[in-house]
Amino acid sequence: MEFKFSEENLQKIASVQKNYPDKRSSIMPVLYIAQEQNGWISHEVMAEVAHLLEITESEVYGVVTFYTMYHKKQVGKFHLQVCTNVSCMLRGGYDIWNKIKDKYNLEDGGVTQDGKLSLEEVECMGSCGTAPMIAINEDYFENLTPEKVIEIIDSLK
Amino acid sequence: MHRIVLPDIKNLQEIDVYLANQGYYGARLAFQKSPDDIIEIVKKSGLRGRGGAAFLTGLKWSFMPKVTSKPKYLCVNGDESEPGSFKDRQIFEFNPHQLIEGILITCYAIGAQTAYIYIRGEYHKWIKPVQKAIDEAYNNGFIGSRMKETFGTQFSCDIFIHKGAGAYICGEESSLMNSIEGQRAYPRVKPPFPAQNGLWGNPTTINNVETITNVPPIIKNGSEWFSSIGEPKHPGTLLFGVSGHVNKPGVYELPTGTLLTDIIEKYAGGVINAKRIKCIIPGGTSMPPLKGDSIEGLKMDAESLRAAGSAIGTGGIIVMDEDTDLVKVLARMTKFYYHESCGQCTPCREGTGWMLKILKRILDGKGTKSDLDLLISIANNIDGNTVCALGEAAAWPVKFTIARFRDEFENRVNESIQIPVNNKVHSMRKTKNPIDNIEIR
Amino acid sequence: MPKFQIDGKEFEFKNGQTVLEVALENGIDIPHFCYHPLLSISGNCRMCLVEIEKMPKLMISCSTLAAEGMVVHTQSERAINARKAVMEFFLINHPLDCPICDEAGECKLQDYTYQHSIGESRFTETKNLKEKRVPLGPYVMFDGDRCIACSRCIRFCDEIAKSSQLTFVKRGDRVTIETFPGMQLDNSYSLNVTDICPVGALTNRDFRFKARVWDMSATKSVCIGCSRGCNIEVWVRSNEIMRLTPRFNPDVNQYWMCDEGRLKTWKHVNSDTRINGPQLRKNGTLAEVGWDEAYAFAISELKNFNKDEIGIILSSSASMEDNYMGIKFGKSVLGAKYFGYKSKVLKGSGDDILITDDKAPNTFGLELLLKSFSVRIENSFEQVMSLINEGKIKALLVIEDDILSGSEELNKTLDRLDLLIVTASNMNKTAEKAHIIFAASTYAEKNGTFVNVSGRIQRTKPAVVTSERERSLDGFEMSRLDKFGTEWDKWGKVNKIEARASWKILNGLGVVMGQKLKYNMAEEVFVDLSKTIDKLSGLDYRAIGETGVQLKLTNTN
Repeated sequence: MEFKFSEENLQKIASVQKNYPDKRSSIMPVLYIAQEQNGWISHEVMAEVAHLLEITESEVYGVVTFYTMYHKKQVGKFHLQVCTNVSCMLRGGYDIWNKIKDKYNLEDGGVTQDGKLSLEEVECMGSCGTAPMIAINEDYFENLTPEKVIEIIDSLK
Repeated sequence: MHRIVLPDIKNLQEIDVYLANQGYYGARLAFQKSPDDIIEIVKKSGLRGRGGAAFLTGLKWSFMPKVTSKPKYLCVNGDESEPGSFKDRQIFEFNPHQLIEGILITCYAIGAQTAYIYIRGEYHKWIKPVQKAIDEAYNNGFIGSRMKETFGTQFSCDIFIHKGAGAYICGEESSLMNSIEGQRAYPRVKPPFPAQNGLWGNPTTINNVETITNVPPIIKNGSEWFSSIGEPKHPGTLLFGVSGHVNKPGVYELPTGTLLTDIIEKYAGGVINAKRIKCIIPGGTSMPPLKGDSIEGLKMDAESLRAAGSAIGTGGIIVMDEDTDLVKVLARMTKFYYHESCGQCTPCREGTGWMLKILKRILDGKGTKSDLDLLISIANNIDGNTVCALGEAAAWPVKFTIARFRDEFENRVNESIQIPVNNKVHSMRKTKNPIDNIEIR
Repeated sequence: MPKFQIDGKEFEFKNGQTVLEVALENGIDIPHFCYHPLLSISGNCRMCLVEIEKMPKLMISCSTLAAEGMVVHTQSERAINARKAVMEFFLINHPLDCPICDEAGECKLQDYTYQHSIGESRFTETKNLKEKRVPLGPYVMFDGDRCIACSRCIRFCDEIAKSSQLTFVKRGDRVTIETFPGMQLDNSYSLNVTDICPVGALTNRDFRFKARVWDMSATKSVCIGCSRGCNIEVWVRSNEIMRLTPRFNPDVNQYWMCDEGRLKTWKHVNSDTRINGPQLRKNGTLAEVGWDEAYAFAISELKNFNKDEIGIILSSSASMEDNYMGIKFGKSVLGAKYFGYKSKVLKGSGDDILITDDKAPNTFGLELLLKSFSVRIENSFEQVMSLINEGKIKALLVIEDDILSGSEELNKTLDRLDLLIVTASNMNKTAEKAHIIFAASTYAEKNGTFVNVSGRIQRTKPAVVTSERERSLDGFEMSRLDKFGTEWDKWGKVNKIEARASWKILNGLGVVMGQKLKYNMAEEVFVDLSKTIDKLSGLDYRAIGETGVQLKLTNTN
């Protein structure tokens, strides 16, 4: 599917590019804007970003595959990111991880059939003092128990 | 009680409140002095970097060339990805203007016209207050071209936020610069150092968020005031982030040299269910762990921790009680470094995966006694041979956890019954790829 | 000059030189994978770690600048252990498939495993698997398992080919090399990545699985694909060319050559279309004959024309020696007046890296020759053709050029000729029209000299034997098979083409006509021709050597 930036986003891009001395350096914010519009970074998105920044597609591809927050495939409407790193693990992070996996029948990187939920095991999110935690899309949910997590997820609309 | 970075003032994140509490006064004072004077004050204050290496901040600034035709840059490291660290987000949320003021003073001292605050991408919530503060500061003429009128100085600078996108390595200063440049965030080979050849090849200084936030009070109150707080060789306060098995985990700003036991007992509410501490990591997972029975009288500052066989790191304290499975902890930490190794240089790229496979095997009950020495040997082979410090960060936990808790590891491998099958290579091509298949539950 | 020490010996260095550069210059082989002299320093392989006194950590010698008084140890216990460690890391996930790997025999990883590794594996886990047999482009195949992520190929594309087509993807030990999905590694220099790949990760699709490295001989020669004259090695097994690789010449092609030159300049040598012995047209059809019969027939035919009726077509693709004999034979034996050659310039086909517009390797040299014989050269080819059309030229001698190729309109012109004699290595449109064909050796079968676009004279050497020569007797490069193979094994039975160098053919014709043209070797021709051209005076094959000699360009040709 072809991808074109919306007028509004082209303006956003023009604005963010003022923060950098050259076009190429704006690739990370530009990819975020693309992801916001498209939901994930498809090959078409990468090609359009390359075109816009006047670099090769493979350069964009290298950058996208380096960073975990650019989605290389479609994610659910609600992307569940469960931290299982040490501080969360000590406070039950894996209980939450396993609970979500079992309850929604999801594997790491999986998406539910209805496209509502997707699951990712993530590294430390900086919530060690409020562990365990999950992030849903851009929002943090902290000081959790498996029960609370299910309650939160089930209330998502 | 000194609180320098996170003063106990309500709504300090609001610019009006900040201004009512001597906000941007430090910058005003600084611009009346020469940049060299500022560097001298910060040098004398003894301020050290809060990002992990505890390097003298004033000295770092002095590496910037005085005369150059190139633009100079300041990068403020708010990548905060070291497991166990969650301090900078407090500054973003509760005191962003002091961070901005610190950036203005630092830029002035090193002659930078542009500063980038690198904030990890996951911190959506904490990018907003910083951006809001930046916008307010611009509107009030504290940043940008209007600085000349506001402060009556010839100096001006711009501040931008660069949002990361999920890569621990970006906390390494040269990776951070590559990331701002929009590259794969590979660490750079040093030398050349950033002060000579940094962002886009220009002179650059990289400082941690907490470090920079310490600067305005130092300018306002003088270097002697600052150096008198806490331990003389590592003065000031630190934001100690306490997590793990404690009753009141959280961030506590305390003078350096505060006793670790005090932090745990007096501030973090003691260990849950009053259990004994088996293991404690004093400065984020990359720092060598200490035995719970060895921390009596241990002061939390760079020198004291070095003497105790660890390091201050980011001040992220992870407390593990007597029931903790350290094999699992070490496997989980190693999985982190495996996941975050950028893959550029050989020892880290290959070694992190190898260590993880062995630890996973031990965790699965298939370890052998020789695995422990092998793990230490692999860690030693990574240590010191890599492009950047992620090599050490991955190697130290393995080396020191096994060395300091050898009994627990030996017990685990002695329980093992199965002998691992030797190298499977090609006959096993149809089996699941091990790199898709390392899970700790 | 400042000095520093490596392993107890003192070396001078120039400011800005790295420890590794000085070491390599002085014959100290500090092992390295990612370092390449013409690519940026990436410092990722960690193989060149050395111990430097007063530095706490080991340093990579590829990026550490030499400094006055520095003391470097490459053989200290720490340095040796670091190399062993790095080798072990390289090998844990690397397949142990040397017996089926094309790189075996010229693999840095294999060599260093013998030299710098502990010799056994402590790795008992399952190896990582990556994509195998990935065609990255039309010519390059990728094996992800074997890749050691040194980034040489990526840097080559970015920095030399100026076409960022390759990238690392992912992180950690999942890192691999890819093109953007749906796109190809198809720049004009793509195959150079197979040369600089230190392992068997990138292989030449045209060559892979064709021959083992140690079964081939490698002959130093020059590419004839364009006027750049890239220095090459011609790799031969069982008297068949298997591949070409570029050969370092800092003044011509550095370490590189284009894909076109590498792949398309030698297939004709092995081809089925080779002309195997002279052919005469009898009753309308071409028939193979012996050399003596062909010579005699050619002379008797040529005698039917007076000198104004004879034209000679030379070739900017043929060697100095062949063209020289063409002119000499034409002038002094036949008394011909009309000479010409067909330009092979394709405007706009060159680039600013190596490829030139002129697809002929010896235009510069041919023009020097023509000038020295005072032959008018402007529009000479067109003039010869129009003289044929006018019926003034009735006999044409074509030396090593298919003049009909790309010029179909000349068909009718050639039809007007009463006599067409060609020397050609392969059957082509012009040869098909000929009355007499002399089977010519290719550039890969003879000694010769060529002058490239910047006026540098360089040598080709014979790599393939024709029926008149013996590999062992005539100083050819020899492979293991050549030395130790016998006629009774598969490799010993080689195919030899019945062909002679064009200069030799013309020499033969001259001798039959009673002239004093008695050259036995190409070099004798060269020595003679060098006397007629000022710029070449004093040169011989030895002086030209393996990397050529730049001619003085002060006066115009």
